[in-house]
Amino acid sequence: MTRRASILGGAAAIATTFVVFVIPFIFIVLMAFKDRQQSALRDFSWPTGFHFWENVAEVVKTRNWMMITAFINSTIITVVSVTLLVIFAAMVGYVLARRKTRWNGLIEFLILAGLMVPPAVVPTIWLLQGLKLFGTLHGMILIEVAYNLPFSIILYRAFVATIPRDLDEAAIIDGARPLDVFFRIVLPLLWPVTVTNIVVQSVGIFNDFTNPLYYLPGNANATVQLTLYNFQSQFSTAYNLLFTNILLITIPPLLVFLFFNRQIVAGMTAGAVKG
Amino acid sequence: MAGLELKQLQKSYGNVEVIKGIDLTIEHGEFVVFVGPSGCGKSTLLRMIAGLEDITGGELVIGDRVVNAVEPRDRGIAMVFQSYALYPHMTVYDNVGFGLKLARTPKDVRDQKIREAARILQMEHLLDRKPSQLSGGQRQRVAIGRAIVRKPEVFLFDEPLSNLDAALRVDMRMEISRLHNDLGATMIYVTHDQVEAMTLADKIVVLDGGVVQQVGAPIELYQRPANLFVAGFIGSPKMNFVEAGVDKVVGDSVTVSGPDVAGVPVAIPAGRLRPGDRLTLGVRPHDLAVAPSGTIVGRVGLVERLGNETIVNLELPSGASWLAVLEGDQILRRGDSLALDVDPGKALLFDKSGQAVN
Repeated sequence: MTRRASILGGAAAIATTFVVFVIPFIFIVLMAFKDRQQSALRDFSWPTGFHFWENVAEVVKTRNWMMITAFINSTIITVVSVTLLVIFAAMVGYVLARRKTRWNGLIEFLILAGLMVPPAVVPTIWLLQGLKLFGTLHGMILIEVAYNLPFSIILYRAFVATIPRDLDEAAIIDGARPLDVFFRIVLPLLWPVTVTNIVVQSVGIFNDFTNPLYYLPGNANATVQLTLYNFQSQFSTAYNLLFTNILLITIPPLLVFLFFNRQIVAGMTAGAVKG
Repeated sequence: MAGLELKQLQKSYGNVEVIKGIDLTIEHGEFVVFVGPSGCGKSTLLRMIAGLEDITGGELVIGDRVVNAVEPRDRGIAMVFQSYALYPHMTVYDNVGFGLKLARTPKDVRDQKIREAARILQMEHLLDRKPSQLSGGQRQRVAIGRAIVRKPEVFLFDEPLSNLDAALRVDMRMEISRLHNDLGATMIYVTHDQVEAMTLADKIVVLDGGVVQQVGAPIELYQRPANLFVAGFIGSPKMNFVEAGVDKVVGDSVTVSGPDVAGVPVAIPAGRLRPGDRLTLGVRPHDLAVAPSGTIVGRVGLVERLGNETIVNLELPSGASWLAVLEGDQILRRGDSLALDVDPGKALLFDKSGQAVN
């Protein structure tokens, strides 16, 4: 009885997943293979001809190779932001978990506030203009770091508590300075959370649409998500190109996910202490 | 190579004083063991010497430098932790060499020193493994290797054997003792296990409540405890105590009696006690012997026959219970009356404040 129920449950779950995740993806792929006329019908039909390579070439060449610039920009923003996020969030998480002071409560409140309070766009733009960072890649990187830091800190802080304090002390006795303790002992042991952080944050930042839209105007500064607007306008939309574009910019996050997912190793601290 | 000197060393957490002014001199090359019940401050004291805890008051001298404000890495110490604290992401080789790497020792010198330490501890075959692939005893070896590779002047051990099983503990104890002989370094060892303390130490420091109760050679502490606490703490099974008063003083001997004992003779230098003084009599279970005319009479309770000795639980008239460890196999029945005698030279007397009289 239970066996049949579990089989039925599994089948239902697979069917739901298929409808929710796989069918839309198949729709995207099919659209990317169609020509403009057929794609304008926006139906779930088999492509009448093979137009994929034409579509790809057109998407990449549109607006003076904007796609290439966008990929470069997005990659820079993602890699630098995620690196900074990992280092800073791990540092904050480490200090918060290790050093108990009477400021901890306030700091934790501020972190939660950073997570909950929506960022105000116009004042942020004023601030960026005042700092001469508006419309620059490094300004955008700082924005991404600031917006995503609280979440990363929370991920790290809980995990630091599982690293025995004896390890820090052993390193201090061995002659490690604070930065040595952090970079040589603590950060390597935080690897499982770092992987989680890299996957979650890089996918989030790479796919960020609104923040680059507000803070990074200008054709030279385009990021991949903004290239979607190249094929949409008030009166006409090239659906075949739009979906080819979607397909292209879905690939990098997918690769990150597949690569790092296998790296998440549990129990890195096994063997540190007794047991 | 260096000795240590602790001058009025104090430590408080807020208003709570945990180390209350400790004076102690440790000679170069000595093996000193800190013992005491849990919470007595022995680990805190060790961590203060290591530099992991700030010193609230007093002075700590290692060699001829005051090191109160010196970083742990510059104190010339190495420490072995109870939990071993091996770096799990590094191989044994890197664990042992970590300190040298931080000190920017050239690679060939480092390699030579690591292999030397591995040879001393007979763990050359383990160098490529990760800590998770080692057994408890092997991890402990690596932790000790990490300490000796730095050639420190003072070794600090924080209950290093308490996570090992009994057989391994005996082996490692001998190993540490051998290491002390070979290296000739000063070693400070914290434990609550008095067998470790008695067997390893040149000098035992008994701590309780953040105060040094007594400092001395193991046998001295056993035979001549300075106060009731040391008398009760050192020795296994625990020393028996009973209230008593002085009956009469004759030369170098007094006779004490109480509700449970009648006329027990105790050797005491003349002039220390007068008839009528109220005291506590302490007798070690091993110092009791069966004697039909014995001065300590009680009812036999639980009897443990071990073959070479017999451990008897004796109920005294007042309801207090004493332990006696009797030579050989004794056939005793529960509920029988048993008279025991004690050698006058081995009975101890403590005054009202708990200080030893003899």
